[in-house]
Amino acid sequence: MEKTLRLKAKELLESGEVKVVIGYGWNRSKTRTTPVFITDPADVDTLVWNPLCVNNLSLYLTRKYKEIKALGRPAIVAKGCDIRNIVVLITEGQFKREDVFIIGMTCNGTVYKQDLWKGELTPNIMPTKCHNCDVRNPHVTDFVVGEKSTFTPPEVPTGMVYDKVKDLDSKSQSERWAFWVKEFSRCVKCYACRQVCPLCYCERCITEKNMPQWIETSAHPRGNLSWNLTRAMHLVGRCTFCGECERSCPVNIPLNLINQKMIGVVKEAFDFKSGYDEKTHPPMIVFSPDDKENFIK
Amino acid sequence: MADKILKKADLGKLIESVTGKGGRFVAPTTDSRQIVFKKVKSAEEIATDYILARNSFKEFLFPQTEVVAEFTLGKDTVDMRGVEVHAPQTVIFGARPCEAASLKGMHALFTWDFIDEFYTKREDNTVVVTVGCTKADDACFCTTVNLSPASTEGADVYLREAGESYTVEAITDKGKKFVEAHAAVFGSGSVKADPLVMPEKIANIDLAKVSERLKDKTHYDDKVWPKLTRKCIGCGACTFVCPTCRCFDIVDEGTAFEGERRKNWDSCQYDTFTLHASGHNPREHQHQRWRNRFMCKFNFFPEKFSGKGCVGCGRCVRVCPVRLDITEVMEEFSK
Amino acid sequence: MSGHTEHSAPTGGYEPKIMAFVCNWCTYAGADLAGTSRMEYRPNVRIIKLPCTGRIDPLFIIKAFENGADGVLVSGCHPGDCHYTTGNYHARRRWIGFKHLMEFAGIDMRRLHFSWVSASEAIKWVDLINKVTDEIKALGPFMEYKGLKATEAEQG
Repeated sequence: MEKTLRLKAKELLESGEVKVVIGYGWNRSKTRTTPVFITDPADVDTLVWNPLCVNNLSLYLTRKYKEIKALGRPAIVAKGCDIRNIVVLITEGQFKREDVFIIGMTCNGTVYKQDLWKGELTPNIMPTKCHNCDVRNPHVTDFVVGEKSTFTPPEVPTGMVYDKVKDLDSKSQSERWAFWVKEFSRCVKCYACRQVCPLCYCERCITEKNMPQWIETSAHPRGNLSWNLTRAMHLVGRCTFCGECERSCPVNIPLNLINQKMIGVVKEAFDFKSGYDEKTHPPMIVFSPDDKENFIK
Repeated sequence: MADKILKKADLGKLIESVTGKGGRFVAPTTDSRQIVFKKVKSAEEIATDYILARNSFKEFLFPQTEVVAEFTLGKDTVDMRGVEVHAPQTVIFGARPCEAASLKGMHALFTWDFIDEFYTKREDNTVVVTVGCTKADDACFCTTVNLSPASTEGADVYLREAGESYTVEAITDKGKKFVEAHAAVFGSGSVKADPLVMPEKIANIDLAKVSERLKDKTHYDDKVWPKLTRKCIGCGACTFVCPTCRCFDIVDEGTAFEGERRKNWDSCQYDTFTLHASGHNPREHQHQRWRNRFMCKFNFFPEKFSGKGCVGCGRCVRVCPVRLDITEVMEEFSK
Repeated sequence: MSGHTEHSAPTGGYEPKIMAFVCNWCTYAGADLAGTSRMEYRPNVRIIKLPCTGRIDPLFIIKAFENGADGVLVSGCHPGDCHYTTGNYHARRRWIGFKHLMEFAGIDMRRLHFSWVSASEAIKWVDLINKVTDEIKALGPFMEYKGLKATEAEQG
């Protein structure tokens, strides 16, 4: 697969169809992958593809990365799950479909965190998203690399995240409160969750607004709760469960639980799953007069 | 003093001895699938098999958020009150030699043009007990910045693993007093220390060359910066886990009538760090912010405070979501 | 019998603070009608008027709790009646998300209420406020949220 990928990247760069290829490369010791930006066709051999390619590179397509934008039209190496984010970005008018060349990678799953890699991809080191993946064959692409995957996801989504969400739902309100206050109390407000999220593309985040200070910058339990609730709220109907926020969290806050819970709510209430169709608007920017709820008195 | 030993089985007694006198005992412990420096109450909580804790112990000297003053606003008055520094007697146990080496620079900064009592009072009451490393991973690079698991810089007491015991070496006066104060817990005897594990020195890095090249500020607009650090996403994770990063921000929190002034960790990786009120930002691009961090580690800080800007603990490398490795940049600047 | 006809003065002791975020055109007018009709109701509610429920950012609600509210009420025009045609439809979507988020985070949902009150529904408004106030009064102060500060002190 790497060979096809490199050849395609070379062809794209040489023909001038794209000016930069955003993909994965090795770090110095070849133990971890890291994002690379190839602008010279001679460098395409830097590109690699393996289960360590966890990063969601669609992040670099957002308007926060002006310098990357300045390089010219990009091609991006993307897994199906990453493409879902590109789709959301298109539906939200961040760029047009033709502004990016998508090199879709068929995928058999990635590791949850690169540190877990022992040379072999086993189910127990794969994140929940991979076990339930319905886009192993990338769905919106300009070019596909790799053999068609025959994997069919289970009818009912399964995995640790779903189990934990269910478990939390079955608990009492005060138990849930205690759980989240404890989890959020570790938050250091580094905002890695925000920075790594391809959908947190605001150039000025609400946390940085200080007249008034909507979200307290202090990493005390109150400021942390308000930040984490707001982050989750701003992703309702948009989050694709790519899991980058949880992976990047230096203090292991289970952000996937809250994201997956809200994905479930959106599915239930609006029958919507984000990131599949670049022509459908995300649910929170549209409405239906027939929306159902049972709590507005 | 070198013949002092501490039996691992006696760690509980040491904790009791410290907490019995009203002190807090901080050690690496397991929390949410990570090794973390936290206050511990018993020896069972202390992790033994670890390379480094996720966090640096700096947060016990320089907390992530703390109240430095309180205020009440009247119709035409502002009543500002200082608060007492919360500085309990503290023992940091199980720190690594690399992170302890950060303390000299920390002290220099917090006593520079203003004595920051919130730091110094805590520092006075803190004893740092380091344990030489018997494990390392590929992110460790202390040997590259001229430190090693045998360094005692910044430590008050230096321990080494020796089977079921530790060898004990009191380094500073504070350390000697600590060992004396808890003399009942420390035994004597001669045990053979386990070998230390030295991370391999990264061959292509020449620290002297790095600092030499950084002195010539013509590199400021060099294309090498965007090239090397384009992938940086601008989160502050590296700065928050770094034992030598110490930038903070002062914020007021409260209502229209009363509130508190807080000192919060800040990060040079945020664009708001240097954003002027006029709207101008001298470090507009992420690579410039990254350059600043690198310069701070290997140029500004060592020059100004003769402290170590980088101690090679490798936390920033481990925590980086895009695996931007500071040693790869050091390598580039060694050329 | 509806609550507005009962004269129940505060009984002394704890009085909850309740924030109400309401829209200008329906609920605020409804509350105004209650006032001009001299209906009495519990005085615990502090009303903040906004142009439309579509303007009510979930952050307002979080901020209200942060600043010591024991309960929050959000109210606007009935679906189909929005002065700006669609503002409350957008709000409804947002509330569906937000309500579930708050529930999942473990906020006691007896402290967060949503309703539609039109300009003519003064009686509904009065009954609503009385009911919400009594319910929150029975719950007592929102110590979980207020206690978040104490949690910090404990950690240090």
